[in-house]
Amino acid sequence: MADIGYIALLLALVASLYSATAFVFGKRRNIPALVDSARNGVVAVCGLVSIAVLALLYAILTHDFQIEYVASYTARDMSLTYLLSAIWAGNDGSLLFWAWLLALFGMIVVLQRRDVGRELVPYASTIVMVTEVFFLFLLLSVANPFHKLSFLPADGRGLNPLLENPGMLFHPPNLLGGYVGFTIPFAFAMSALLTRRLGDEWIVSIRRWTLVSWLLLSIGNIIGAWWAYVELGWGGYWAWDPVENASLLPWLTGTAFLHSIMMQRRRGILKKWNMVLVIITFSLSIFGTFLTRSGILSSVHTFADTTLGPFFLVFIGVTLFSSLGLLYYRSELLNSEAEMESLVSRESTFLMNNLFLVGAAFAVFLGEIFPLISEAVRGVKITVGAPFYNQVNGPIFLAIIFLAGVCALIGWRRSSVSNLMRNFLWPLAIALVIGSALIILGVRQPYAVFAFTVCAFVLTTILYEWFRGTRARRRMRGDNYLKAFFGLLGANRPRYGGYTVHIGLVLIAIGVIGSSFYNVEKEATLLPGESMSIKNYTLTYENKDTFQTETRQVDSATLSVFNGGKLLGKIVPSKYYSVSYEQSVTEVAIRSTPAEDLYAILIGWDDAGATSFKILVNPLVSWIWIGGIVLVLGGLIAFWPERRKLPVEIRVEARETVGSVSNKKSGNGINKVRSSSEARRG
Amino acid sequence: MFKQKKFLIGGIIILIALGYLGYTAFAGAATYYYTVNEVLGKGSSIYGDTMRVEGQVLVGSVQQESAGRMWKFTISDADGQQSLPVIYRGVVPDTFEEGNPVVVEGILGSDGIFQAKTLMPKCPSKYEPEV
Repeated sequence: MADIGYIALLLALVASLYSATAFVFGKRRNIPALVDSARNGVVAVCGLVSIAVLALLYAILTHDFQIEYVASYTARDMSLTYLLSAIWAGNDGSLLFWAWLLALFGMIVVLQRRDVGRELVPYASTIVMVTEVFFLFLLLSVANPFHKLSFLPADGRGLNPLLENPGMLFHPPNLLGGYVGFTIPFAFAMSALLTRRLGDEWIVSIRRWTLVSWLLLSIGNIIGAWWAYVELGWGGYWAWDPVENASLLPWLTGTAFLHSIMMQRRRGILKKWNMVLVIITFSLSIFGTFLTRSGILSSVHTFADTTLGPFFLVFIGVTLFSSLGLLYYRSELLNSEAEMESLVSRESTFLMNNLFLVGAAFAVFLGEIFPLISEAVRGVKITVGAPFYNQVNGPIFLAIIFLAGVCALIGWRRSSVSNLMRNFLWPLAIALVIGSALIILGVRQPYAVFAFTVCAFVLTTILYEWFRGTRARRRMRGDNYLKAFFGLLGANRPRYGGYTVHIGLVLIAIGVIGSSFYNVEKEATLLPGESMSIKNYTLTYENKDTFQTETRQVDSATLSVFNGGKLLGKIVPSKYYSVSYEQSVTEVAIRSTPAEDLYAILIGWDDAGATSFKILVNPLVSWIWIGGIVLVLGGLIAFWPERRKLPVEIRVEARETVGSVSNKKSGNGINKVRSSSEARRG
Repeated sequence: MFKQKKFLIGGIIILIALGYLGYTAFAGAATYYYTVNEVLGKGSSIYGDTMRVEGQVLVGSVQQESAGRMWKFTISDADGQQSLPVIYRGVVPDTFEEGNPVVVEGILGSDGIFQAKTLMPKCPSKYEPEV
C-alpha cells in the first residue's frame, strides 16, 4: 500500500508539472486541445492524490505499523473517528491533506461552469498546479508520509491524549481548508495580472472562493478556541500563542479583502490594494503552515520537524517577490475609475475597516516575529506576550465592530448629515439606554461599559435595518412580517448574510469583553467536607475517586455547587494518566449558563487527602460559541448560490441607480445593485 | 483616487493612532528572553526584572508542594553546566515533564531563585513522538 501511495504522489507530481506547463503553452500558442489536456491533467492530479490519501487511510485502518507515520500517530486501541483524524494529526499527513485539498479545489475550478472569468482559468490553474508541485515535492522528499521503518513495531504510539477531543476532528481540517482555499483567489488574481484582464472578472470569479476559505478559517479558529477552553485546562480560549496568531493573520487580511473587493465591484476603486491584500493573505496562509513546521518560535502547536522551514521560506520569498513584481509592472492598468467623494459614506467605513484590519494584522505579525528581529538587530531576544496583543487589538477590534454598525445604516457615495441623524437616532438612543442600565446594574469598568455600549449600538443598528427592510417589504407586498423577513434575507443573501456575520461577531465580542473584564479565579486546598466560595458560589469538596480503565488511571474529585444555600448540582473535575502515552491529562469540569461558566480544575492532591482546586468564574463565555454559530450561519447565507434571474436584476439595477444618486433608498436595502459597472457609470 | 485631502489626513490620523497604540502596548509588554547561561552571566544586574527564561527541566529536580499548587525545579541549558532554581505557583500544564524544554516567565529574586508566574512547556516531542 505504501508503494502505491508513493507512486501515486510521484505520478501526481508529473501530471501537475505537465498541467502547469500545458496551460501556459496552450493559452499562449492558442491550442485549445492542449488547454483541454491540461484541464484533464488537473483532474488526474486530484485522482492520484486521492489515491495516495486512500492508501494512507488504508494503512492507518489496517494498522500497518511498518509505515512510520502510522506507527507514530495511531495505535490499535484507537476508535475509528480518531484513526481517521490521524490523517492530519502529524506533519507529513497534514501536508498530504493540504496537497489533496488543493488538488480538489483545483479540480473544482476547472470543472466549474462559469459565466465570467473563463479566460482566467488556464493561468489560474497553472498557479494552483505550481503550488501543488511544491507540496508534492515536499511529500516525496522531506515529508514522506509513506516512509517505512526497518522493523515492524507491535503497536503504534497512538494519538496524544490531549488531542483526543472532537475538536481534533474539525479544527485542523477546517483551518487547513481555509489556508488552502486562499490559493484560489490568489491564483485568479495572478492570472488577471498575467492576462491583463483586470476588470471585475477576477473579483466576480473568486468572491465565493474567498468566502468559503474565510468561513473555513473562521470555523477552524472558533473550534480551536473552544477546544483550548474545554481541554487544555487553563481557563481561557485564546492565548496569543504564535501558531494561533498565525491562523488569525490570514483571517484578518482575508476579512479586509472580502470587504475591499466590494468596493472594487461597486465603485471600481482600490484595485491595487485588492491585489496586495490577496497576495498578503495567500503568503500569510503559507507562513502559518511554515510556522507550525519550522519550530522557529516556541508554541504548544509546533511539530518537531525542522527540515521543512527553509523550503517554506524559499516558497514564500519567491511568491511574494514575483507576485509583487508582477503587480508593479501592471500597476498602471489598475488605476481607479472613480473618486472617493465623502467621508460620510459607506466607502469610507469600508476603507477604515480595511485600515484597522490590516493594522491589527500588522501589529500581530510584528509581535509574532519581534523575537527574531530583535535577535538579528541587537543580539537579544525580546518577546511580547498576551498583554501587548490585548492592548493593541482590543481598541482596534472595538473600532472595527463599531464600523460594522455604522456601515449598516450609511449609504454608498455620500450621506447627508441629516440623513445620518435620522438613521442613527434610535439605535444610538437604545445603546445609550442599555449603557446606562449596565452602569445602574453594577458594571463599572469604564472600558467594559463603553465596549458593551458599542456592541449594543451595533446590534440595534443591524436589527433596525432589518426591521425597516421587513416593514418596507411588508407594505410593498402585503406579506406578513415573518414572510417579509425571510423574503428580505433571500432577496440579497450576500448582504444579509454579511449582517448575520456581523451579529455573530458582536456576540463573540460580548463574550470576550465579559470574560476578560469580569473573570474571577481562586485557588484552594481542601480536605473532604471543606468548602470554598467564589463570587456567589460555594463549592464543597465531597470526595475523590480513583479508578482504573483499560488505558487510563483516573482520579476524579466531586464538588457540590451551592448558590446561596441552594444546591445547583455537582461538578467533577478529574485528572487521568494515559498508560499507553505516559502522560497525565487534566479534564476540567464546566458548568455553563448563558450568564457565566463555573470552571473547575483539579490541580493535585497530597497523601494526607488534601486536594487543590483552581476555580474560575468566566462570565458570558457561552456567547462566544453562540456567536460563532451565528457567524457560520451568516457565512452560509452569504455563500448560498443566488437564483439566476437576469431580467429582474437589470430592472432592479436601473431603479437602484436612481435611488443611490438621489440618496433616498440607499438605506432601506431591499434591492441592492449587484454588478457594479452600471451603477458606477450611472 | 484620494484627490481630496481629507481622506489623506484622515488616514494619517488613523495610522498615527495605531502606531501610538502599538508603541505604548509594546513598551508595557516587551520582555527579554534569555537562556539559563545568559541569565546567570548577567549576575545581580537583572534581579527584580521580569523576563522569560528558556531551559531544560533537570531530571529528578521536580518537587511539588501544597498538593500541587507550588512546584520547585531546576532548569539548565542543553550543556547542563549552570542551573537555575525555579519556583512556580499555579496550575502546571499537562505537557510539563522532566527532561523537556520549558519557558518560564517571572522575576529573578536576589536569592538567585526564579519566581515564575507562567510556565510554558515547549514540548517538541509531544505531537511528534520519536519512534
